[in-house]
Amino acid sequence: MLGHDVVRDARAIRRRLGAVLSGERSLYWKLTARENLEYFAALYHMPPNETATRISEILEAVHLAERADDYVEKFSTGMRQRLVLARALLPAPALLLLDEPTVGLDPQAARDLRERVLQVRDEGRTVVLTTHYMEEADQLCDRIAIVDHGRIVALDTPAGLKRSLKATEVVRLELDAPAATDAALVERVAAGGTVTHRDCENGSLHLTVHCDSARELVPLVIDVARTVSAEVRNIAVQPISLEDVFISLTGRALRE
Amino acid sequence: MNVADIAGDFRAFGAAARKDWRILRRYPGSFISFIFWPIALPLAFVFQAQAFAGGREDTAAAFAARTGTNEIAGFLFVGWSAYMWLSLILWGPGTSLRTEQIRGSLEAIFMTPASRLVILFGPAVSHLIWAAWIFVVVGLALWIGFGVTIGPFEALRASAVILVATPALYAIGALFAAVVLRFGDVHALVQGVRGLFTAVCGMSFPIIVLPDWGQTLALALPPTYLIADLGAVLLAGTELGRIIGDLAILTGMGVVLALLAVFAFKRTERHARRGGRLAQY
Repeated sequence: MLGHDVVRDARAIRRRLGAVLSGERSLYWKLTARENLEYFAALYHMPPNETATRISEILEAVHLAERADDYVEKFSTGMRQRLVLARALLPAPALLLLDEPTVGLDPQAARDLRERVLQVRDEGRTVVLTTHYMEEADQLCDRIAIVDHGRIVALDTPAGLKRSLKATEVVRLELDAPAATDAALVERVAAGGTVTHRDCENGSLHLTVHCDSARELVPLVIDVARTVSAEVRNIAVQPISLEDVFISLTGRALRE
Repeated sequence: MNVADIAGDFRAFGAAARKDWRILRRYPGSFISFIFWPIALPLAFVFQAQAFAGGREDTAAAFAARTGTNEIAGFLFVGWSAYMWLSLILWGPGTSLRTEQIRGSLEAIFMTPASRLVILFGPAVSHLIWAAWIFVVVGLALWIGFGVTIGPFEALRASAVILVATPALYAIGALFAAVVLRFGDVHALVQGVRGLFTAVCGMSFPIIVLPDWGQTLALALPPTYLIADLGAVLLAGTELGRIIGDLAILTGMGVVLALLAVFAFKRTERHARRGGRLAQY
């Protein structure tokens, strides 16, 4: 990693590594923001004559300069998470590890943090981010590895992963159909795309279909429904997302 | 490891101690307990001893013959203050590690280039301030309450005894820290060991009153030498040369326990890191 052996040169690697791992609770709430960073500056072996300046710069970068001398216990969750990011950036790391950095944040704080991550990436640092939020991965990542049961099952750019489904849109259908006609209905809808999910709930048939063009699939569905005396209750069309890729690859819904 | 790493570790050591001290003094309530307990705990034993002795001179003489001092209050205050310091050390490294683990900061700390031993013992240094505080409170209580004065030379000799005993005691603390990383909790073990020390190491009695097996066990434990030697230099005016054998044993125990602690901690730390247990609690 970074040109070092991870076992023999662990210290050399840790010197160039920043990490956001356990979120806001990993801070010392009875210390001020500045005191938290002073402690970690010492742990990172930062020269004492550089510490104060570096801490001021980092606090400025995460918009916490005005609250530098307040106890962390007085901070909001978003501010604490920004301070955790500041701590990770303290050693100017070549590699930054972010473990679900936006969990528990309100939308505004999450967006702010994501913008900071993009800034870090634009500075030329490598960012390794784990997340269950597929939109976040899509927005922030140049390459995404989908991990299932500890194994990488896909590794590509967001666009490449979506292309791997060989479809551009997802159509979700809800139909009221006589039970005996379900199989025939599904078979004929499959002519217009790939049926990736099928279940019955409260007498309604729910289908998820991946297709190249919803404009072509929807008329087909309506025709098929008419011929088997089924009623189309709902049609939703969305572009293929990373969540669809994830489910397609792992066969499971998110957060199971 | 180069000179810059060593210098960095020294600064990190100081920063860890300073961080813990800052947090500690932001909970001012804890100061009250550190005034109350160093006086209340031994005082209860002093009254108990007075009740058992019944004011008879022969019982006081028997006590003096067995302990080398006729200062019953001094003997008990020194024994219990050593016990309180011991408790701080035994709890210190393991508890600070456990606290970091529960807080979620342990992984972040272990991701820095600072030595693990700095992280382990840095916070425990702040406990030395409490230890000094305990000994000052006890000294004042003995002087004001019982007229027992401790001179500067006695205090210096006691400091030397404490210095010699420190590696062995901190090594035991580090062994507890290894248990924390391996099993996640250390309370039951610390309570057990603290109970053993209380029962056989002579905090409130001379170990000569123990059965033979108890004395053998006591002589295998570092606190026994610490407590006996502190009593000897503070209350009986014993010169360090007279207890040089005890100090040599304490030094030897310190070396063996420190090596054992470093080995155990490195093993368990690697196990915890690979098993993802640093952030579990």
